[in-house]
Amino acid sequence: MTIKSKKDTGKLTLTLTGRLDTSTAPNLEETLKESYDGVTELVFDLEKLEYISSAGLRALLSAQKTMNKQGSMKVINVGEEIMEIFEITGFTEILTIE
Amino acid sequence: MNELNNITAEGKPVEANKNTTERKKNKPKVSIIFKSILGIVALLIVFSIIVSIIGFRNFTGALLEQYADGAFRTANTAIMEFDVSKIEDYAASGGTTKEYLSALESMELLCNSSGSTFIYVIRPDRSDYKHITFLFSTINKNSDYTRYEFGFVRDTTNEDYMEKYRRLYEGESDQELVIRDKGYIETDPHITAMVPIKDAGGKTAAILCVQRQMDNMVHVRNTYIGKILFVMIALMILVIIVQSIYLHHVFLRPVTKITEEASRFSHENDLPEQKLSDAVRNNDEIGVLACSIDHMEERIIKYVDDLTKVTAEKERISTELNLATKIQASMLPSIFPPFPNRTEFDIYASMDPAKEVGGDFYDFFLVDDDHLCLVMADVSGKGVPAALFMMASKIILANYAKMGKSPSEILTAANATICSSNREDMFVTVWLGILEISTGRLTAANAGHEYPVLMKPDGKFELYKDKHGFVIGGMAGMKYKEYTIDMKPGSKLFLYTDGVSEATDSENQLFGTERMIAALNQKSDGSPQEILQNVRSSIDTFVKNAEQFDDLTMLCLELKEKDK
Repeated sequence: MTIKSKKDTGKLTLTLTGRLDTSTAPNLEETLKESYDGVTELVFDLEKLEYISSAGLRALLSAQKTMNKQGSMKVINVGEEIMEIFEITGFTEILTIE
Repeated sequence: MNELNNITAEGKPVEANKNTTERKKNKPKVSIIFKSILGIVALLIVFSIIVSIIGFRNFTGALLEQYADGAFRTANTAIMEFDVSKIEDYAASGGTTKEYLSALESMELLCNSSGSTFIYVIRPDRSDYKHITFLFSTINKNSDYTRYEFGFVRDTTNEDYMEKYRRLYEGESDQELVIRDKGYIETDPHITAMVPIKDAGGKTAAILCVQRQMDNMVHVRNTYIGKILFVMIALMILVIIVQSIYLHHVFLRPVTKITEEASRFSHENDLPEQKLSDAVRNNDEIGVLACSIDHMEERIIKYVDDLTKVTAEKERISTELNLATKIQASMLPSIFPPFPNRTEFDIYASMDPAKEVGGDFYDFFLVDDDHLCLVMADVSGKGVPAALFMMASKIILANYAKMGKSPSEILTAANATICSSNREDMFVTVWLGILEISTGRLTAANAGHEYPVLMKPDGKFELYKDKHGFVIGGMAGMKYKEYTIDMKPGSKLFLYTDGVSEATDSENQLFGTERMIAALNQKSDGSPQEILQNVRSSIDTFVKNAEQFDDLTMLCLELKEKDK
């Protein structure tokens, strides 16, 4: 999986490509931990994300909880398969999906 | 302290004997000293050849110059004593006049006193210089040669002489020298100095030649070369001896010690009694090597110690994990049939963790005589953290269920409990249902778990797209809705975790729910155990050699028809 990050005064956009699973989720958590400072709007672009496992969901959940305290977070360009996983796991209830 | 160690070590004959035997074992084919000396000898030979050649040339040059100098001096002396104006008279004298004889006598004296071999005066044939006519000819009294008589005519020896005669006659030079010291001539090596005898008009009338033998020079030169060779050979022997001793002392002895120590260490694997850097006290690269080997030995021993500790630690962890696997397995109901005296339903379940312990779990138990609680759950992540979280979740869910709550109440309460102490943001997806056995009425709630699969009597398995709540433990204050399904006798319910639907082959293809449903329908009228085995073998065929990535957990419930 690759993470492309783009920061624009308070707005951080992360573009995820590939598979977000047990082996790659720690990378995402690490990236997030380093870049939370001063971020008020966090955007995940999941257009090229092929698969998300429970470990990946956990990383998104952590991000959502952190952003609840310091701003807002949304997930954009969610593909059909990822959307199905969000629906099954109920993540549609807590994430802002556009 | 180091000094002391040195002395002690040298005073140990036992140690030395042991070393000798090892040295024999590792004896090199060619000693490095021999190679080194061979190099130096080759260098010395090349050097002595160069010195000999340079010496030979310089020596020859210097001696020739000296000989030529002497010959010319003699020639000039002869010219001074010679009465040039009378040259034509001498030529016409026939060698018998008194004047001629007196001139010949004084020339003879000069020849003997100057040590020349010949002094002679000639007139060459001026048309082509191929013949010469002798006017005067004297010979040293110690020489074996015989003199040429007046007027004797002979061929010019070679073209070299002809050319020089010509140059002297045509006034191109005032003196010429011919050197004949090569091996091809029949006479002894000699030089001939030539000066022109000029008449009053300045024209060359005759040529005066002084010839000197050089046999003495060749002798001296050979002696000189011999001396050089002798010195060189002596030097070589000296170098060989000195170099052997020197190399043995500063090089071979310490290197041998290092070799022996390395060999000892590879066999014994412990630190030496005396440090190598104390035994080898060179202040050069060999000393550095000795120190490095000391350090290396210390580090290897430390590394081996560490490795032993780590291996022991790993074994301990592995033992504990084995135990944990057993504990986890024993937490899940695993004796089938679980309720042998209940004929109304049949149930079968299995859990295969990807690692030693897993985060998936299933559970089923009778809340009371008429109510069977079924749980299928999946903790985020894998391994020990997931297993710990799974244990807590299972107990919490079972406790709330046994309090007689409805599925939505159980999930809501469990979420509240788990969220209150979940710092790591772990969560668990749960499908929980309570079956009223007498009526077949199934009340269920889904907290972010996979869709259950239902089979109506004599029908096919189909996904049941139920309402989903959020995962448990993710966010506090979540509420869960419940729904009911009326299961007719003969119905089946299949529950699973994403390890089934997301089993992955080596090309990252997912098994998927469609393949899963197809596997279920292979023999939908089979017993729960057969159905689970079908799904399992279908997954195995699909993933082939790919490593099992996620925990694989399944449960199948069959509500039996009443007459059976």
